[in-house]
Amino acid sequence: MRNVAIVGAGQTHHARRRTDVSQIGLAREAVTRALEDAELTMDDIDSVVVCTGPVLFAAVNQPEKWLVDAIGARLKPVVRVTSGGGTGLAGALAAVNQVRAGFADRVLVVAYDKLSEGALQYSISTLYDPFWGREFAVGIMGFSAAYWRARIDALGHSEEAAAQVAVKNRKNAMLNPYAHVKKPVTVEDVLNSRPLCWPIKLLDVPPISDGACAVVLASEDAAKTATDPAWIRGMAYYSEAENAAHRSMVQSEPLTIAAGRVYQQAGITNPRRQVDVVEVQEPYTCFELSYYEGLGLCAPGGAADLISSGATEMDGDIPVNPSGGCMGANPIGATALIRLAEIAQQVRGRAGDHQISDARTGLMQAGGGWANLRGVAVVSNTKG
Amino acid sequence: MSDSLLTGIDDAQVLDANIALPYTLTTGRAAGTFLAGLGDKRILASRCDTCARTMTPAQDYCNRCGEPSGEFLSMPETGTVTAITRTESVTLALIRIDGSDTDLMHRLSSGGPAADVGTRVRAVWADTPTQSMLDLDCFTPDDSGAEPGTPSPTGDIEPITEIPYAIDLAYRHSYGPHYGRLFDELATRRRILGSKCPQCRNVLVPPREFCDICFVRTAQHVDVADTGVLQAFSIIHMEFVGQTRKPPYVYAEIVLDGSATRLIHTVGGHDVDTLKERLSIGMPVRAVWKDAADTRGTLDDIDHFAPVFEQLP
Amino acid sequence: MGTNTLERVAVVASAQTTLRESWSSLQHVDLIGSAVSSALRGTGLRMQDVDVVIDCGSDVLDGRSISNCGFLGAMGAHHKEESRVEEDGLFGALYGTTKVASGSASVALIVAYSKPSESSVSAYYSTLTDPFYQRALGLDHVGAAGLMANQYLTTSDADEEALLRIAAEAWRKAGNNPWVETATVPTLADIESSPYVADPVRGLQLSRPVDGAVAVLLATEQVAHRLTERPVWITGMGTAMESHFLADRKPGELEACQAAAAMATRRAGISDVGSFGLAEVSGTSAAGEAMVVEALGLAHRGRAVDCYEDGASVSVNPSGGALPADPIMATGLVRLHEAAARLAGRLGDEAATTALVHGAGGLGMQNHCVFTLEV
Repeated sequence: MRNVAIVGAGQTHHARRRTDVSQIGLAREAVTRALEDAELTMDDIDSVVVCTGPVLFAAVNQPEKWLVDAIGARLKPVVRVTSGGGTGLAGALAAVNQVRAGFADRVLVVAYDKLSEGALQYSISTLYDPFWGREFAVGIMGFSAAYWRARIDALGHSEEAAAQVAVKNRKNAMLNPYAHVKKPVTVEDVLNSRPLCWPIKLLDVPPISDGACAVVLASEDAAKTATDPAWIRGMAYYSEAENAAHRSMVQSEPLTIAAGRVYQQAGITNPRRQVDVVEVQEPYTCFELSYYEGLGLCAPGGAADLISSGATEMDGDIPVNPSGGCMGANPIGATALIRLAEIAQQVRGRAGDHQISDARTGLMQAGGGWANLRGVAVVSNTKG
Repeated sequence: MSDSLLTGIDDAQVLDANIALPYTLTTGRAAGTFLAGLGDKRILASRCDTCARTMTPAQDYCNRCGEPSGEFLSMPETGTVTAITRTESVTLALIRIDGSDTDLMHRLSSGGPAADVGTRVRAVWADTPTQSMLDLDCFTPDDSGAEPGTPSPTGDIEPITEIPYAIDLAYRHSYGPHYGRLFDELATRRRILGSKCPQCRNVLVPPREFCDICFVRTAQHVDVADTGVLQAFSIIHMEFVGQTRKPPYVYAEIVLDGSATRLIHTVGGHDVDTLKERLSIGMPVRAVWKDAADTRGTLDDIDHFAPVFEQLP
Repeated sequence: MGTNTLERVAVVASAQTTLRESWSSLQHVDLIGSAVSSALRGTGLRMQDVDVVIDCGSDVLDGRSISNCGFLGAMGAHHKEESRVEEDGLFGALYGTTKVASGSASVALIVAYSKPSESSVSAYYSTLTDPFYQRALGLDHVGAAGLMANQYLTTSDADEEALLRIAAEAWRKAGNNPWVETATVPTLADIESSPYVADPVRGLQLSRPVDGAVAVLLATEQVAHRLTERPVWITGMGTAMESHFLADRKPGELEACQAAAAMATRRAGISDVGSFGLAEVSGTSAAGEAMVVEALGLAHRGRAVDCYEDGASVSVNPSGGALPADPIMATGLVRLHEAAARLAGRLGDEAATTALVHGAGGLGMQNHCVFTLEV
C-alpha cells in the first residue's frame, strides 16, 4: 500500500460567530493556512475533498458547489463527503484512498461549518425518522445524555468524572490560539452548572462555533519535498445501523472495530504505551470517558479512574486533547479534521504552546450521527 | 417478502412533513457591499488585479485564479443580454454590464418589448430596498441608443453583514409496506408491530424489510407488547425551536417486551424530580395511551410511558 | 490509474429498481434494499464479503439530515466502513474504486438512490445556489437548463430540430428499456408540441425526475475472476468541477466535462474516443446531453445530433439516458450499471467491449465524472 503523509495543516481562529466572512470565506482561510504550512499553492493540488455537517446547518445544499471558486479549485476534482459530526475524518479517509490508489498525488481536505448561521439543535432534530420519533426529537443532546445515564450505572462514568474532562479540556484550550472558549472551570463549577439535558449540564457542553480546518495529504513521492511529514499509519471509519437489534448503549462497537483495524494497520498492540498524544472529538464530556475505553487506553469501566489519575493531562503519560478538544471550539463539520490536524502538528513538532514534548505517534478519534459513526486514525513522524 | 413488493399497488397515503428553519446568513465583504450598493441603486463590481478582470456582481475571490479581489467599482446600469430564457414564473437572463468582464444573472421585465440575445437593457430599481438581489427589480430593454457608461470608483460603502433567511421544505413521505401496516395497527388496534428476522429471530420495531445485522428479508409482522424496559433516559430542561413538549420532561429509549430494538418516547406520570431519583436503567415501563377519541395513528397516541415502580424489589 | 502495484478494479455485478415517476407505495429503504439484494443475487457474494459501502443520496431530497444513517441496515452497512458522497452516484463509484485499487478493500458496494416524488425538485436545485446572488432570482434546474440551451444554440450551429431529435431518440430507446416505466413513449411530434418550460427547452426535453435505486459491486481482480468470466474493468476515471455561478461558465460548452473526460481517457491510455463501443451519459436536458456528448469528444461542436443517426460509430445511451429517467442522485450510477451490464452481456448479447460513462451533479451540471470501461 502506498504511504500517505500529511504535509500541511491549517485552521481558522474559531469563534462563536464570525460576521466578517461568509461560509465560503471561512473555509478559504483554513485552505490558505494549510497551503502556506505545506509551502504549496493550489496549482500543486490534484484533488479537493470538502466536508461539512448536514446542509440544513447553513441553508446551502451541497455547499462545495459554492466553495469551489473561493479556493481556486475550478476544473479540479472536487467532491464532498458527509458523515455527520465525523465528516472531517470521513473526508480525510476518502482523500487517503485517492492518494493510495494513485488517483491523486496531493489532495486538499477542507472541512468547515458556520454553525452560527442556523438553529443547531432544531436542525439536528431532523436526523430523526419523520414517522418514528421526530415528534420527541431532542436534538443530539437528549439522546447523548440518555446514553451517558446508562453508562453511569454500567461503567461508573460519574458526573464528577465527566466534570474532570471539562476541567482538563477547558484548561488545555487556554494554550490553543485557535480555541475561542478560554475560561478555566472547576469540578464544582461543572457540577453546579445548569442542567440542559441531565446528566448533561451547561459546562459539559462544547461551544457552538464558526470554524474551518484544512489538511494537505501527499503521496510518498510528493512528500519528498516536505520538511516534516506526518505519516498516516492507519485510518478507518465504521458505521452501525442505528436501531439494529441489541445495539449496545454502553460500549461503541463501531469504535472498537475501527480502533482494532487501525491498530492492526499501525502495528499498535498497547495504545497506552505506544501512543504519545491523543485527540478525541467529545461532543459532550461524557463521550471522552467512553472513548478512553473504546480506544483501549484503559479497560472497560476504567475511564473514571484514568481521568482521576491525571494520566490524560498535558503532563500525563497519555495526554488527551492537549488542544482543548471540542471544549475550546466546536465547528462540527470541521471538528474531526481539527483533531487529525492537531495530532499531525504534534508529531511534526508544530503544535506551539500545547506541544507534547517528543510526540512521535498520535492517535485521534471522531464520530457522529446517532453516535453510530466512528472513526480512528494514527499518525507518526516515521513511515513505519 | 419477495421482490414482488416492487410491483405493489400505489398507495396514496403519505405523511406530510415540513422542515422549516430560520437562519442569519453572513454575506462576506463583496456580497454585503454589492447588496448595500443595490439599496443605493448602484451595481458594483470587484476587480481581480491578478487576472485584470472586472467581475459583476462583486466577488470576494476571483473565480479564475482564486485570489482575493481588490477595489470595488460602480458600474453602469446598462448592458447587453448574452443569454435568455423564459420560464413559467420568470424571465432569466445573463447580462454583460457595460465595462464588465463577466456576466450578471438577473431577471428581465415580463411585459414590454421582447428581449433576445444582443438586446441592450437597463436596470429597473425596486421602490423599497429589502437587502436582496431583487432591490434591482429587473432589467428592461433600452432602446435609447445611449453611449455605454464606464465603471467608476465607488468610494466608501458600508457592507450589509447579515441577512435573515428561512427555509421551508415540504415533504410527502411514503408509508411503504411496513410503516403503512404499523400505523394502521396503531390507529385501529392500538398495537405496536415489529418484524421478525428469520435468521437471528429478533423482532425489530419499527418493522422493516431487512434485518440490519443479517441482511435477510424479515419474514413476518408480529405484535409486541406496550410494556417494556427503560434502556436509557435523560431529563430535558433545554428549550429549543421546534420542540413539541414543554420542558422539563423525561426523554426515554425503551425496549418493548418481545422486541430487540429501541423506541423513542417520554416517561411521565410523576413529577420530574421523582423520576430523576427513582428511574433506573432496566426498569419496567408501560404505555399510557391517550383517550381513544384522540387517536391519530402515531406514536403520539401514547401519551407517555409510566414507570412500574412497584415491580421493583 | 498509474502504477502496476495497484489493484485492478472491476464491476462484478449491479442492479437497479425500475425507475418510475413515483414509487409511492415504497420507502427509500425498500428501494435501496431491493437494489442491493438484487445486485448480490447470483454472484456468490454474501453481504459479509462486502468491505465498504459508499452511498449517494441527498438530505434535502430525503427530508432528513444525515439520511444515510437511517438507511444503513437496508444498505447492509452495519459494522462496515461506510461514507456518503453527497453527489451523483458515479462519484460514489469513484470513491469505491480508489478504495479497492488502494488494496484496502476487496469488495465495495456503491448505492445511489432518490425519491424526488416525495419532495420539491425545484427546491432541491434552488438550495444548491449561493444564497445571495442566484437564489433570490428564482433560479432552479428549469431556468438553468433554459439558459444553457439558449447559449448552446446561440454559440453553435445546432438548431432546435437537432434537440428534438436527441430527445425523441432518448425516449424511443427508453421505450425499449424494461427498467424505465413510461406510460407512453412520446414521439418527435409529441416533444415538438410540448410547451416550452424554459425556452428553448420544451417539457419533454427536460430530464424527467424519477424514483429509484441502483447498486453496483466493485471488486479486486482476484475476486472478479472468481465471480465472473466477464469482469468489466475500470480503466480510467476523471472528475472536474465548474464555476459555481452559471454566468461564469463558458457559453455552450462544458469545460469541466472536457477536463473530466481528458483525465479519464489519459489514465486509460485512450486517444480516440470514437473507438468506444458505447457511451452512457447524463444530461439534464436535450441541449445538456448534446453538450455532454460534445465535451466527451464524441461529436464536433454543435454536431452532437450525428451520434443519434443510424450508423453512428459510438452507440450513445442505448438505455435512453437521463432524459426519460433521472433519479437525480442515482443517475450517473445507473449509467455505470447500464454500461457494465451491457459489456458483461447481462442485458443480452453485446458486441461492444468498451464503454464511456458520464455522470453529473449540481445546478446546470456543475460537477462531472467520467469512467472508461473495458471487458
